[in-house]
Amino acid sequence: MSYAPPVELTERRQGHYAGAVSRLVAFAADIGALWGLYTLGLAGLSFAVELVTGHALKFQGHQFVTLAVLVVWSFVYFAYQWSLSGRTIGMAVLGIKVVAADGTPVTTRESVIRTVALPFSFVLFGIGFLGILIGRERRAWHDHLAGTAVVYSWDARAARLRWLAKQDPGVPRRRSGRPATTATPE
Amino acid sequence: MAPNPISERIESMAQAIAERVVNLVMDAIDIDALLDGIDVDRLIQRVDVDKIIDRVDVEQIINRVDVDKIINRVDVEQIIERVDVDRIVERVDVDRIVERVDVDRIVERVDVDRIIERVDVNSVVERVDVGRIVDQLDIDALVEQTELGSIIAKSTTGVASEVLDVVRAQGVGLDDFFARWTNRLLRRPMSELPLGPPTLVAPAGPTPGGRP
Repeated sequence: MSYAPPVELTERRQGHYAGAVSRLVAFAADIGALWGLYTLGLAGLSFAVELVTGHALKFQGHQFVTLAVLVVWSFVYFAYQWSLSGRTIGMAVLGIKVVAADGTPVTTRESVIRTVALPFSFVLFGIGFLGILIGRERRAWHDHLAGTAVVYSWDARAARLRWLAKQDPGVPRRRSGRPATTATPE
Repeated sequence: MAPNPISERIESMAQAIAERVVNLVMDAIDIDALLDGIDVDRLIQRVDVDKIIDRVDVEQIINRVDVDKIINRVDVEQIIERVDVDRIVERVDVDRIVERVDVDRIVERVDVDRIIERVDVNSVVERVDVGRIVDQLDIDALVEQTELGSIIAKSTTGVASEVLDVVRAQGVGLDDFFARWTNRLLRRPMSELPLGPPTLVAPAGPTPGGRP
């Protein structure tokens, strides 16, 4: 793999407001992780119950319970991770994190409020998320309610150095990060 | 013994006669003609200057000279004003002087250890603007063209980190794309938008290329 993070995209972005695509992909990754862990948890619980009692645990017909468990699990998933480090699994993958509106680390209280307020951004076809695209500070409704913001936090400088370290020293390089010759990607 | 009046009168007469003779001779001599007849050069050649100098007691002369008094009478400022330094410097052949300087010999005489001991390293380090030096370094070139690159590659590179780099960089690129078009539709200058929370972004303003 020879993709070079361009200088313009990487080195000057830490602490800047994260954009809509990064946040959307991170959220999608979180939903995947949330659902995967939830399913894995239920399967593990079922297996354990069957192992102990000898009877298979069936969830059909207990939609309310499973839904309640899912809601609680979702709350724990987001609130715990945001209060712990300001980022969820998906956010960590995309290199973004939640901070207080002034840039200081997010508090547990803000994390809880943000988690509770998150569903409100989904009402009316997700109009609450529009602020990420058109807002001056790229903040959604739940960000405003919790007093938080989302910023880039990944070490793009290290990523660029890793890429440069793997390049052939003889190949001339442009400032954009790509070799000046017509080297073909691997 | 009483003086003899006769001899005194004879003596005075002789004196008067001598004076008269001298005056007559002097009147008769043409001084100019006499000087014209003297060969001064020949006369000077016959003078033994060395012998004269040998007879001069220089030490005694020097002892009699009051040097302080002479110096006090010298107007140094006036002398300096009359010196044309530029003209003197123009006449100095610096290259020739430099050629005659034995640098190696000078360096050998320098006690480097003593100089280093007198240097306040902490003070020097405090005055060094490390940030400015780092800014001037082309870190990219350094990593790319030195062994440092392979060290970084060996210590940090993994498939997972590369995938993450790609995903993140692509995400930032798409963020920029959408933000750019959104701001264009809203007729909103990108330079007026805040880059990030105040404590995370320096208040120096937007980056040269503007924010996404």
